[in-house]
Amino acid sequence: MRAGAAAAPVPVRARRWVLEGRVQGVGFRPFVHRLAARHGLAGWVQNRLGRVVVHAEGPPAALARFGEALVREAPPLACPRIAESAEVPPRGMAGFRILASASDGEARVHLPPDRSVCEACLCELEDPRDRRHRYPFVNCTQCGPRYTIIESLPYDRARTSMARFALCADCAREYADPGDRRFHAEPLACPRCGPRLRWRGAGGAAEGEGALAAALECLRGGGIVAVRGVGGYHLLCDARSDAAVARLRARKRRPAKPLAVLFPDLAVVRRVARLDAAAAEALADPARPIVLVPLRQDAGLAAGIAPGLGEVGALLPYSPLHHLLARGFGAPLVATSGNVSGDPVVTDPDEAEALLGAVADGFLHHDRPIVRPADDPVLRPIAGAPRPLRLGRGTAPLELELPRALPEPVLATGGHMKATIALAWERRAVVSPHVGDLEAPRARALFERLAADLQRLYGVRARRLLHDAHPDYFTTRWARAAGLPARAVQHHRAHASALAAEHPDVERWLVLAWDGVGYGDDGTLWGGEAFLGRPGAWRRVASLRPFRLPGGLRAAREPWRSALGVLWEAGLERPVPGAPADVGLLRAAWARGRNAPLTSAAGRLFDAAAALTGLCAAASYEGEGPMRLEAAAARAAGTPAEPPALAWRPGRDGILRLDWAPLLPALADGGRAPEARAAAFHEALARAVAALAARMAREAPGLTVGLCGGVFQNRLLAERCLALLAGRGIGVRLPLRVPGNDGGLAFGQVAEALHAWTA
Amino acid sequence: MDGMSPGDGGGRIGLAHGNGGRLTRELVEAVFAAGLGGLLVDHRADAVAVPWHGEEGELVLTTDAFTVQPLEFPGGDIGALAVHGTVNDLAVAGATPRYLTLDVLIEEGLELDRLRRIVASLARAAREAGVRVAAGDTKVVRRGEGGGLYLAATGVGVRPRSVALGLERIRAGDRVLVSGPVGDHGVAVMLAREDFGLRGDLASDCASVLPLTLAVRDREGLRFLRDPTRGGLATVCHEIAAATGLTVRLDEAAIPLRDPVRGVCEMLGYDPLYLACEGRVVAVAAPGAAEEVLAAWRALPQGGAAAVIGTVTERQGAPVVLDTALGGERALEELEDDPLPRIC
Repeated sequence: MRAGAAAAPVPVRARRWVLEGRVQGVGFRPFVHRLAARHGLAGWVQNRLGRVVVHAEGPPAALARFGEALVREAPPLACPRIAESAEVPPRGMAGFRILASASDGEARVHLPPDRSVCEACLCELEDPRDRRHRYPFVNCTQCGPRYTIIESLPYDRARTSMARFALCADCAREYADPGDRRFHAEPLACPRCGPRLRWRGAGGAAEGEGALAAALECLRGGGIVAVRGVGGYHLLCDARSDAAVARLRARKRRPAKPLAVLFPDLAVVRRVARLDAAAAEALADPARPIVLVPLRQDAGLAAGIAPGLGEVGALLPYSPLHHLLARGFGAPLVATSGNVSGDPVVTDPDEAEALLGAVADGFLHHDRPIVRPADDPVLRPIAGAPRPLRLGRGTAPLELELPRALPEPVLATGGHMKATIALAWERRAVVSPHVGDLEAPRARALFERLAADLQRLYGVRARRLLHDAHPDYFTTRWARAAGLPARAVQHHRAHASALAAEHPDVERWLVLAWDGVGYGDDGTLWGGEAFLGRPGAWRRVASLRPFRLPGGLRAAREPWRSALGVLWEAGLERPVPGAPADVGLLRAAWARGRNAPLTSAAGRLFDAAAALTGLCAAASYEGEGPMRLEAAAARAAGTPAEPPALAWRPGRDGILRLDWAPLLPALADGGRAPEARAAAFHEALARAVAALAARMAREAPGLTVGLCGGVFQNRLLAERCLALLAGRGIGVRLPLRVPGNDGGLAFGQVAEALHAWTA
Repeated sequence: MDGMSPGDGGGRIGLAHGNGGRLTRELVEAVFAAGLGGLLVDHRADAVAVPWHGEEGELVLTTDAFTVQPLEFPGGDIGALAVHGTVNDLAVAGATPRYLTLDVLIEEGLELDRLRRIVASLARAAREAGVRVAAGDTKVVRRGEGGGLYLAATGVGVRPRSVALGLERIRAGDRVLVSGPVGDHGVAVMLAREDFGLRGDLASDCASVLPLTLAVRDREGLRFLRDPTRGGLATVCHEIAAATGLTVRLDEAAIPLRDPVRGVCEMLGYDPLYLACEGRVVAVAAPGAAEEVLAAWRALPQGGAAAVIGTVTERQGAPVVLDTALGGERALEELEDDPLPRIC
């Protein structure tokens, strides 16, 4: 039977696309569904282990437009890449469907990071007519928790900690409606069916809006509130109140380490800090990181927020709950990690009450379980761009592409402090959020859990392990005991390779890796190293003149020891402010080399300078001496610093050694202001870096200078090096996405070993 | 004693003192037999029989070698240390020490006066602990081949069958106690060895712990005793953790530490928890028995500073964990021969 012979039959064609990249947890499937509806196409979309497969059929022209729009019009958080595209036979399908996720086959999984609340959800939060008005857990496909609630992949509600909340009829309708912006929003929730707030503390117990009100009242009264956020607990208190800040410091036994501050909005930050464009942009990033910004003179914050420093760690609200708190309070709030010093952030309500009970006056809990912790990420703008100091909520897991494929999957265990883990396979590397300092058993437990978790989530089993060369790091022992082939990567080469892997366009490097201490090839403690070459082929060309650290490990927290170490090494006798009156015994032990390890660490030289200038004899947190020294030098900005000239001289091993001894008389000169002495110290080292680069450039023309290691988180030093090198026509690179401190070691181990294996 | 110093003028040990002839006999008679007096069972025999009746309990044996430098240090010397070290190993096994054997390796050139002082000290320690020297041997090594004097001792003791101690008895929830301040011996010997200058307030705790162990060894609920010698308190805790699979959690603020020891450790960057004690006992006791052990120790002159310092728990993160005085937690590692700073 013939029908409509006159009408030309519209041909039906079908195509299949495989998309990879960031396509899970970002509303990509609902987007595909809406797009197909708009173009009148039938077919299906499905998550398959990290990739999305799209089958569409209909008129060829519509198919072509649809195919282009798949990438071009993708949702803001998505980052799709078409891996395959092929014509397939049409199936005669009607309608377009989202198929259940498939979980077999090989993984191309992406674990999405947590996202701050989007504008659309924020509008609902503030709209009295909306059913989610003031609901602290509002989210959609474009925002909300991901990494911290996902138990396994593929990313579906049933495999998140939201599985325990059964959707109400309204939410179920939104979830199932392809036209709704919450279509397949996995953490979808509302006041009727979703998580709730709970208050425990002064004034008894309360729920929901009452809990929020109780927390705000406690904060207004100068109290300290532990708040369960996305990746863990925060401790909040009034950032303008000297008494509240002092109380928090006393209870947390954290005398001076700077406290982050949560601001209601950017306008309030501007009243307190001087923001350049890079800092403002960084603050507003969807990850909502802590950004170090220069404080104004009349900031109005409590003096105890960041004693002796010129910057404050500012943070804008990221979750709806933090919006409600920050706006409800209407003024800056201290928002510091709810943990015991060095431990990972606390995530569980019972644990919080047990561990923070003596610190907080009240607890604002909620009942959405945090599957794994994520601390706040920290950035510092240096040389016009934000540089990561810590990976965390919203910035991790950090996905990086390797310059070439690994022969087999590898797990890099990183360092010992500011630990992170990197899992790498094929051309992919994934870096975990900040784990903590591995002196602490809780951090070790988290490390072990994350090492297993990452492999499970990504469906990748490491066949080799990488670790630092330090024999006594927890991670070294762990890697060696794990029963897999394990390989050591020297600390500063890992730093250099992490930086180099972020700048694949650079062919010839001079990398300065300056930090606290790391185990060197010769068994001494390195930390002022310069390498020429590229990953897998670094040649150590320069270092600092070594000196002995009297008292070993204790020097990390007692800068006066480094000061005595450099003085004694240089044959000088000068008083060191804050050192014990009688150091005869220490001197005798130092002279015999008892617990006085040799080091070439620039971080210890900065410690020595901080002590000699009287700025910091004893540090209550890691890096306090250098940070106070930098802040003092920054206060002297504008006054010309006339530093002593320092010389690089070749040692017997051919390695150039920077002799710091000429710095000492000026540093110890009590007749000059500490600010001027600190500024001269910075200037002298920046000039020394420039001189070294110029000398090396004669040997290796066209080289690019890389600055990494914790010492180059010093903004003044890094920017001054940059300016001096620019004047000599030498380019400088700094870390972009991977922390330049020990938080970048795990990735650096991968980058270094990759070349050693595949060279 | 001219006959004791052939051709050496000033009363020193010569190689001939070890040749087995007259000089050896004279050395044994004049220095050891005389110095030890009635403590020596029979210096002429190569082997001796000692009375022992099975009904007294089990025979407990231990052996140990002593190479401490310097030979004499504030609070003790190698002679006292050899007795105490051996006696203490028997004591913490729950035994009553009875006999020692003694091997003496002397370096050519050792002053005889010094040797006599050390033997006298050894005799004092043995008398105090109620042990006799059942057998011994003396050898002389060439100058430069020994550290002046080495001692080796084997101890024999008897343990009543009622005593039931052992690592395998330890359970999660048990308490950890120490009988007195830690680190004294390690600091005193280190300062003396390095010639850092003597300090009157720092002396070894070198002593017999027998009174401490006798006071508690029969108590129900007492699980385990150990003297924290080489490697100190932290090392004993690691032994406990390794043998049981449990975690030993110590409370830093509760661990007794004498101020001068704390001061030296802070100055030089040493951790007193890893420094040797030679007169302390670590006990593990069931929660209900811990207070009794504590009270029994505190009633003794040696146990005045005894304290409950920690708890055995299910394995939590690390084998040995220190709750720090600042409110944090720190994993205590196994002792390294030359620990390098990890943190900076």
